[in-house]
Amino acid sequence: MKTANLSASAARLHRKAMRKKYLVRALHYFVMLLVALITMFPLLWSFFASMRSDVELYKYALPFSWHTIFPVEYTFESYRVVLTELGFPRAAFNTLLVIAIQIPFACLINSIAAFAFTTFDFKGKNALFAFFVVSFMIPGEAVTMPLYQMVNKFGWVDTRWALIVPGIASGLQLFLFRQFFADVPSALIESARIDGASWTQVFFKIMVPMCVPIYITAALMIFMGEWNSYMWPLLVARREKIRTVQIMLAVVKMEHITLWSCMYAGAVLSVLIPVALFLPLQKYYVEGITAGAVKG
Amino acid sequence: MKNKCAPYLLLLPAFLLICIFKIYPVATTLQQAFIVDGHLSLGNYQRVFAEKTFWKCLEVTLKFNIVTVPLQIVISFLMALLVSNNIKGAGIFRTIYYIPFAVSITVAVMVWSLMFQYNGGIINSFLSIFGIPAQGFFNDKKQALWCIVVLCSWKGCGYWMMFLMAGIKNIDSSVYEAAKIDGASYPRTVWSIVIPLMKRVFLFVCVANTSSNMLLFAPMQLVTEGGPRNSTNVLMYEAYKSAFRYADMARCAAIVSVLLLILVAISLVQFFALGDHDARDAKKAAKKAARRGVIA
Repeated sequence: MKTANLSASAARLHRKAMRKKYLVRALHYFVMLLVALITMFPLLWSFFASMRSDVELYKYALPFSWHTIFPVEYTFESYRVVLTELGFPRAAFNTLLVIAIQIPFACLINSIAAFAFTTFDFKGKNALFAFFVVSFMIPGEAVTMPLYQMVNKFGWVDTRWALIVPGIASGLQLFLFRQFFADVPSALIESARIDGASWTQVFFKIMVPMCVPIYITAALMIFMGEWNSYMWPLLVARREKIRTVQIMLAVVKMEHITLWSCMYAGAVLSVLIPVALFLPLQKYYVEGITAGAVKG
Repeated sequence: MKNKCAPYLLLLPAFLLICIFKIYPVATTLQQAFIVDGHLSLGNYQRVFAEKTFWKCLEVTLKFNIVTVPLQIVISFLMALLVSNNIKGAGIFRTIYYIPFAVSITVAVMVWSLMFQYNGGIINSFLSIFGIPAQGFFNDKKQALWCIVVLCSWKGCGYWMMFLMAGIKNIDSSVYEAAKIDGASYPRTVWSIVIPLMKRVFLFVCVANTSSNMLLFAPMQLVTEGGPRNSTNVLMYEAYKSAFRYADMARCAAIVSVLLLILVAISLVQFFALGDHDARDAKKAAKKAARRGVIA
C-alpha cells in the first residue's frame, strides 16, 4: 500500500517535471522563432514588396491587412527596371571584377608574409609582427579621408586601382594565416627541405594544400567586405562605368526616391549573392574570425 | 629556420602596402591636425573646440554609443544563449540570425528607411493596428537617432553573436554539469558561471563594437544627413563633411584624432573593467581588439 502510494507520487512528480521540461522547450522554440521572424522580416518584406507596383504598395499600407504585406498582383517589372535601366548587371560585374583581382593578390601577399613569420627566424621578427598587429588596430574608417587625398595624388580616383590596391595587404589576414600556418608540423617542412624541396615548393606543395580552409576564410572575407563596401567606393568610384553595386543602390536611393519597388528589388538582388555564398561557407567564416577572439 | 633574405623578401610586399595605405595616411592625419602654416600648433584643436557644432556632435556620438553598445551586446548574448545548445534545429536558427550580417549597410539603410516611411511605411502600418498614430521616425528629431540604433542593431547583432557563441561553446561542458548537480538555476548558472568565464570574449566584443559604432556614419550620410536639426550629426559624419563638403582637411584631421583618442580611452576603461589585471592578458586582449578590422 505504502509503496504503491510512493511510486504513484513519484510518477506524478516525474510527469510534472516532464511537463515543465516540454513547456520550457516549447517556450525556447517560440522565442527562437520570434527572433528569427524579427531578423528575417525586413528581408522577407523587401522580397514581397519587390514583386508589386508602387501604387499597390502605397494603397494597401493603411489600414493594416493581409495585402499590406502580400501582393495582390505579382509583377516583375521592378526587376526588369533594375536589371536593364538602372544598370545592376554592370555594377555587379564591376564589383566581381574588383573582387576577382583582389582575392588572389591578397591571399598570396598576406600568406607569404605569414609564412615568413612561422617558418623563419630573423632579426626584428617580433618588432615586425607587432607592426602588423598595430596596423590592423587602426580602424579603416579613420584613415579614409587622408587615404583619399593620397589616392588622388596617384591619379587613381575614379579608376579601379583605387578599389583594388589599398585593400590587398591586411594585418588581420596575415594574423589569421599565421595562426593556421603555425599548426602545420615543422617536421613536415624540415623533411621536405632535406628531400631537396625549394622554399617555393614547400609553400605551394605543403602549406597551401594543408591550409585550404583559411584560404577560403580569407577569400570569403574579401568577398563580403568588397561586395558590401560603401564608403570607400563612394569616394573613389563614382563614375558609372566602374561603380560598384552599393554605389548603384545608393544612387537609386538618392535620385529615384519614389521608385520604392525598384529599391526593394535592388536590395533583394544585391543581398542574394553574398548570402548564397555565405550560407554554405559560414563555418569557415565563423571559425576563422572567432578563433583569435576566443583562444587569444 | 635560418635564412638571410627570404623572410624579408616575403614580408616586403605586405609591409610596403600597409605602410603606404595605412601608416602613411595616419601620419598625414596627425600632421594635418597639428601643423598650422608650417608650424607645430594646437590651433586646429582650439578652433574645433570653440565650435558649438563640435560639442553637439560629441553629445550625439556619445548618446548613440551609450545606448547602442550595451544594447547590442545584451541582445547578441541572449541570441547566442538561445542557439548555442544542441536543441534540434538550433543550427538553422543560428544561420538565420547570421543573415543580416551578410546584408550591406547600404541595403540595410535603404530597406529600413523605406519601412520607416511616414506615409506608406510598413512600421506605421503595424503601429496602426494598435491605434498608434503615424510616427515621423527619420524625420523626427527625437526619433531619428533611435531609428539608426534599431537599424544598426538589426544588422550587427548576428555578427557579435558569432563571437559570443564561440565563447559559450568554449566553456567546458563539465562546468555546466557541476552547476546542475549543485542545483543552480539556469539564470544563476549564466550569471555566475558563463559570463565570468567569458570575460575575454566580452572584452573583445565590447572594444570592437564600440570602435565600429563610434566610427559609423553611413546611415547618417545616406538618410538623415545629420538631421533633423543635427540630431544624428555624429562626429565622424562631421569629419566626413569637413573633408568633402567644406574642403577643410585640417578640421577633419582634428576631429578624427579626437575621436580616436576617445576610442582609445574607452577601450582602456573597458580593459580595466573587464580584463584580468595582468600585463600579458592585456596584451592578448589588445591583439583580440585588433581583430575588429573585419568590419571595416
